[in-house]
Amino acid sequence: MDNTLFGYLNYAVYGTAVLVILIGLYGTMVKKSLLKVVIGLSVSDSGLNLLIVAIGYYKGGTAPIFSPGFLENFKSVSKMVDPVPQALVLTAIVIGFGVTAVALALVIRLYRHHGTLNIDEIKNLKW
Amino acid sequence: MKKVLVILLLATLGYYVAGTYFDIGFGQPHFIKGLLPVKDIYLAQTVKSLKVSNAVTSIVVNFRGFDTLGEVTVLFLAVTALGSILYKKMNVLGERSVLFSSSSIVTSGSKLLFPAIILLGFYVFIHGHLSPGGGFQGGVIIASGFLLMLLAYENYSVSHTALSVVESLAGITFAGVGLLGFMHGGTFLQNFLPTGVLNHLFSGGIIPIIYIAVGFKVGAELTGVIYTVLHEKGESNG
Amino acid sequence: MVGTPVLFIAIPLLAAFLIPLLGMIWKELVRIVPGLVLTYLLILAVNLLVHVLAHGPVVEVIAGWVPPIGINLVFSVFSGFLVTLMIFLGLLVWAYSYRFKRNVDYEPALKYFLMLMMLITGSVGIVLTGDIFNMFVFIEITSISGYGLTAFYKGRDSAEASFKYVLLGSVASTFLLLAIMIIYSQLGTLNMADIANKIHLMNPTLKIVSYIFFVTALGIEAEIFPLNGWAPDAYAEAPGPVGAAFAGIVVKASVYAIIRYTFTIFDLSGAFNFLIIIGMITLIVAETAAIRQEKLKRMLAYSSIGQMGLVLVAFGFGTEEGVFAALFLMLNHAIIKSLLFFSGSYLVYNSKCKYIKEVNGMSKFLPVTSLLFALGAFAIVGLPPFAGFWSKLSVMTAAADSNMILIMVLVLMVSVVELVYYLRVVNRIYFFKKETAIEPKKPTFNALVVMIVLGVIILAIGFYPDVVTGVLHKASASLMDKSQYIHHVLSLRQ
Repeated sequence: MDNTLFGYLNYAVYGTAVLVILIGLYGTMVKKSLLKVVIGLSVSDSGLNLLIVAIGYYKGGTAPIFSPGFLENFKSVSKMVDPVPQALVLTAIVIGFGVTAVALALVIRLYRHHGTLNIDEIKNLKW
Repeated sequence: MKKVLVILLLATLGYYVAGTYFDIGFGQPHFIKGLLPVKDIYLAQTVKSLKVSNAVTSIVVNFRGFDTLGEVTVLFLAVTALGSILYKKMNVLGERSVLFSSSSIVTSGSKLLFPAIILLGFYVFIHGHLSPGGGFQGGVIIASGFLLMLLAYENYSVSHTALSVVESLAGITFAGVGLLGFMHGGTFLQNFLPTGVLNHLFSGGIIPIIYIAVGFKVGAELTGVIYTVLHEKGESNG
Repeated sequence: MVGTPVLFIAIPLLAAFLIPLLGMIWKELVRIVPGLVLTYLLILAVNLLVHVLAHGPVVEVIAGWVPPIGINLVFSVFSGFLVTLMIFLGLLVWAYSYRFKRNVDYEPALKYFLMLMMLITGSVGIVLTGDIFNMFVFIEITSISGYGLTAFYKGRDSAEASFKYVLLGSVASTFLLLAIMIIYSQLGTLNMADIANKIHLMNPTLKIVSYIFFVTALGIEAEIFPLNGWAPDAYAEAPGPVGAAFAGIVVKASVYAIIRYTFTIFDLSGAFNFLIIIGMITLIVAETAAIRQEKLKRMLAYSSIGQMGLVLVAFGFGTEEGVFAALFLMLNHAIIKSLLFFSGSYLVYNSKCKYIKEVNGMSKFLPVTSLLFALGAFAIVGLPPFAGFWSKLSVMTAAADSNMILIMVLVLMVSVVELVYYLRVVNRIYFFKKETAIEPKKPTFNALVVMIVLGVIILAIGFYPDVVTGVLHKASASLMDKSQYIHHVLSLRQ
């Protein structure tokens, strides 16, 4: 892979991740159905996780696991991708899951209460 | 009109976020020159003093183990909040709200697969310090096994008490191991067991113990979430 | 050694995991244990604060890895003061709700007390932690408990208020992660002191973008103006004591986070003016909104948002007097607003919609509660001789020292607006007649004790402000001394 092509990958990877975040936020802000709003939240979380993992990538890097094969073939750890964003994203995924679960429970409560998922018919409070 | 405004707002936001990250650069070292990023220390210490093969595991469970304790708490709280939000005086554990009949192929297939899934889950979290995976991933696999059973059998039930006991015990193990480290070495979550030999199952000191606790906890909690939502009576009352 | 900061997190977490098991043995334990834990933490906090006042900050490392490798907790005078205040308020909220929740089933009671304890623990964690990603985790612990507590009551529109909170909270966590990753990708570290040490090397554009993302994210939790949409509804729909916990504990922790980022981590010169501007806008918008509210708790919520704006303005002076004034305001706001929420929820207990007009003539039915509400109202407006007077006075002094006459005028004008809408309520309590006969809900013994304790504290601070100013001066000095903070954290050796 030559350098110019790799330069475009920069835009492709981060651009995709940011686009996914924006699509998710758009869904959250515009959609009328509560379920779609929650899906929007999930989508933007995924985009964010993609972005974080992408930051840790190094060109030609291997997984940060010291398997016996790795220790024989490579002597230095500089061939490894950055493990910190991967660890952080694990935390972020779990937290995102927790928030989504709570949001879905609230959607069930709202449906139980109002008998509809349309956000316009639920607005008892000011938005 | 609202859509146009939202798109404009998001476009501005996207422009700045994307611009910022384009500046950072992809696939090449982006840290400012002359600084020692913590990841180099992590990678060096993972082998040297922890004897753990999977660097992500050593970060999640040891270097940044406090985050993981918080993360486990977030899951625990999400389950608690879910139960509190969906709580009803009557029929707390009422009939299943989602009922469907599965063919015998599905039911016997799931029965065959279920032990295998659970075994895989256990394997993944027991080997969290040696290979990709760990407590969270293993726990999710176990919960997916229960999800399969709940989908295949209409009247499959999991004991709520057992789930909450497993959840609590696993949480107590995590926090308790942390406090033992506190008593032994003076700092919370400090490793107080021999670290063993790299790439052996019994290595890494307290890391496998914590990850097994996390695996049980995540498995029990996700199963609890699925179970609570499935048993939610969906009728509306005005 | 008098105990270490990690116990503030470890003990409540251990208790949280234990409580469901204990509840199987004896159901009353789920109510008692959180109180015991909070009492223990309060003793620990006071002990540590005394130790820290004499010997300087305590820095605790976790898992045996010194900063910047591992996560560390910092108990300085500044953070220690806030932690002590939060745990004290948390204990009062617990005591207030101990019997209040008696009419609730076992399961919801278990969950209520668990989430309340975790709300306090999360806020304490935000204040204590010395790591930006760890702070994110604690913010999420706090928010998820907040979502659950907001939706605690079934009948009202609580689910809708909580859903709003969830939406904004998720946006907040998105921004927070974006900002954290910008910092990490440049400096390769997540430790606050280490970042503060290296921040001058960062590209200025990236620095500003990440600062703005941080403030946006934390501003949602701290109720800064365009981002505070969730707050009034959440306050109004949540159970009364939870409103007090939000105003007294959660918001304090988020303001702390903003302040820590502005004063210690980032070295942006324009950040202080930025704080003054957003603080002023928040103050004006919230106070003008408060005067138009018809529901008591929404009015209190807007008043709380306004006070937070004033706190930000005071921090924005960037001087030690300004920080002192802001801390004094935070202390007074925490105590007085809790009293207002506690007494206010009894005053409107009978009505379904919680309108302000429901309090007409309540002084006949609930004389003590009404008196305490009036005391709180006068105190928060800043009438002498109550506690609020001294904090407003110190804001004015700090503004005068920084030659900001406009802000002095603004604070005076806002105080007049506050006086108008609080007097409106007090007037209704004392001089209006109740049209319909009601059976008022008498405060329980615990609630009454809690409210009287708060009232006594307000009077005590009002007459003898010296009892707190010493600590506050030391706390503000400890915040201003950035190099000392960095030194204390980074000088630790394995």
